[in-house]
Amino acid sequence: MDVTSRRGFLKLAGLGAMGAGIGPRSAAAEAKSLTLLHESSFIKTFDEYMQKTLAPAYEKETGVKINYELTSVGSLPTRISTIAETGSGADVTMIFLLYPFLFEEKLLDVSDIAEEAGKKQGGWYDVAKEAGLVDGKWKAVPFSNIGQLMNWRTDWFAEIGVKKFPDTWEELYEVGKKLKAKDHPFGFELGHGFGDNHGWLYPLLWSYGGHEVEPDGKTVVIDSDETARAVDFARKFFKDTMLDDVLGWTDVSNNKAWYAEQISCTNNAQSILWLAKRDFPDIAKVTNQAQNPTGPKGRFHLMNSVCHSIFNFSPAKDEARAFLRWLMGEKQLGAWYASADSYYQPLLHGYDNAPMWQVEPRNIPYRDALASAHLPGWPAPPNRALAESLAKYVVVDMFAKACSGTSTKEVIKNAEAQLKEIYRPA
Amino acid sequence: VSLSGWLDRESVFSWLMMAPPLLFLAALVGYPFCYGILLSLQDRPVAHPGTFVGLKNFAANFNDPIFWKVTANTFLYTAAATLLKMVGGLALALAMNQQFPLKNLVRALLLLPFIVPTVLSTVAWMWILDPAFSVLNWFLLTLGMPKPGPSWLGDPVLAMGSIIVINTWRGLPFYGITLLAGLQTVPPELYEAATIDGASGWQRFRFVTLPLLQPIILIVTLFSVIFTFADFQLVYVLTHGGPQNATQLFATYAFDIAMGAGQLGRGASVALAMFPALVLLIAALTIYMRRK
Repeated sequence: MDVTSRRGFLKLAGLGAMGAGIGPRSAAAEAKSLTLLHESSFIKTFDEYMQKTLAPAYEKETGVKINYELTSVGSLPTRISTIAETGSGADVTMIFLLYPFLFEEKLLDVSDIAEEAGKKQGGWYDVAKEAGLVDGKWKAVPFSNIGQLMNWRTDWFAEIGVKKFPDTWEELYEVGKKLKAKDHPFGFELGHGFGDNHGWLYPLLWSYGGHEVEPDGKTVVIDSDETARAVDFARKFFKDTMLDDVLGWTDVSNNKAWYAEQISCTNNAQSILWLAKRDFPDIAKVTNQAQNPTGPKGRFHLMNSVCHSIFNFSPAKDEARAFLRWLMGEKQLGAWYASADSYYQPLLHGYDNAPMWQVEPRNIPYRDALASAHLPGWPAPPNRALAESLAKYVVVDMFAKACSGTSTKEVIKNAEAQLKEIYRPA
Repeated sequence: VSLSGWLDRESVFSWLMMAPPLLFLAALVGYPFCYGILLSLQDRPVAHPGTFVGLKNFAANFNDPIFWKVTANTFLYTAAATLLKMVGGLALALAMNQQFPLKNLVRALLLLPFIVPTVLSTVAWMWILDPAFSVLNWFLLTLGMPKPGPSWLGDPVLAMGSIIVINTWRGLPFYGITLLAGLQTVPPELYEAATIDGASGWQRFRFVTLPLLQPIILIVTLFSVIFTFADFQLVYVLTHGGPQNATQLFATYAFDIAMGAGQLGRGASVALAMFPALVLLIAALTIYMRRK
């Protein structure tokens, strides 16, 4: 065929297009399968346990194949949004923080599975209900918390005579002042990361009695003496104990600084110890972990909840339910937790004394922190406005601006104005 | 008329050839753009049907102090980075137009910042700007600056300066290579004639090179402004808009609102806020070029 003539070219193009159209169709395997979407875990053995043990075991038992789809760290919300908007892509998904509330219209009521797991495995922690119950129905079966706690260098603390982690924020401040003078500053994220900023700033705010919004989910109450005291504390805590660079930190920064032996205390998930044990054994030896300090109104922790939900548009709802019920069964669940030591802290009391806690006793504070953990924005219920406040870093930037030198009054006034705009009546 | 005769008509055939790219543009640019406009006029939470609210989202942006900060940031970022790229790119092109050993290799290497995926090069910059590991800080400390040296990403002004420099570094080769191509089309006779008339080096540049390069400079600037204005990856990876929104740009802010907060309508309205400024600029440049 002469492809140099126009007609010849068109004929060829037409044939090509036809060829593509009638090409062999993929032999659409009719075998039942389910897709479980997860964010890639920091703990490799955790994902491997699903891929190599749990999924094959379930297929052997039921004939249903489990496709374990991993999405990169930080991209799960975008992936879930796409799936929810297009109505296809996964049957069961990992879902965290406020997302069960944002996506609740697209999620199946899984109350039966959550209640059964609670009944059989010691009952749920209160905070599990905060994470999974949407208007009285479980739209997500809680799986775990990925707690954010205090990580501290025992050797440097010991140099100034501190053997036990300080109990109050004020005591921690005094220790930090001395350590900064010895060139061992603290490093707590005050920039725009995903977790390590909220991880300590919400608990700090709460422990001084401050809140963004009332439990009614409408009334903005950030402008209070309690908030002002928390902000004042943060300013001096930053100025006298920390590196200036923390203002620009994202979530990777404190880990980097930890392994560079640049900081003596930070707030992070237990991955910091896990990776130290693997790559920096000398640092791991002098790393310990503790619950957050207490303030005038108590001790608090941030809940980074991890749950599982089923999309209500899944073509295999019953199979998805059966799989999630199986996954939440004691045998599977306990083994999956154990595959990551205690990086994922179970929200069922049945695991309070499980052997997984003895693998690394330095992780035990993460278990003890569950009783005082709350979702960001607590005591306001999770809703769209709260998600907007988080995405706009209202609380983080309130503290960060104070640390950069703006007056307490002004940063609180700005945060209040932003929150009032976010919580505007519809 | 037979089908083949019909196909051979210039008017028919040219449209047939145009159809695939037009369809492509309509599907991948036109549709998302129109959908974006539709979204911006709705209260449209993710996974929830939208309700038409007219210009309410835009009004809400108007009352959002961060939106205005983001607007100022984006304009500053675009203006500074584009200007630096233009001047630097021109200098680079002039230097590369000289004869020197390994000329072709050096020219090829210059393209590297443009070729390396932004996310990767940004991670490299993350290390360069980390006070503990920074080669910059090491250098400044050796010169006698007190420890730990500047906090490149922790200080709002330095953070903005840093992202401008990185954007310039990344975009410079695009300017340089395009202008170099332009330089090579300048006929040598013009330079010879100018030299015979007694023009100095500067005068040759000012009255021969620059006027002939002008159309290319305009085109490259147009592209560069669009890319810089809508930049996302660099900021998202390096600072995520921090510290305290000092580096927050339209694209990153729109993403946080749409994806982080699940407010698709509001996010679309922030993203569309870029549009009028870009349209004005493109229109101005196009009119200017047509006149020439």
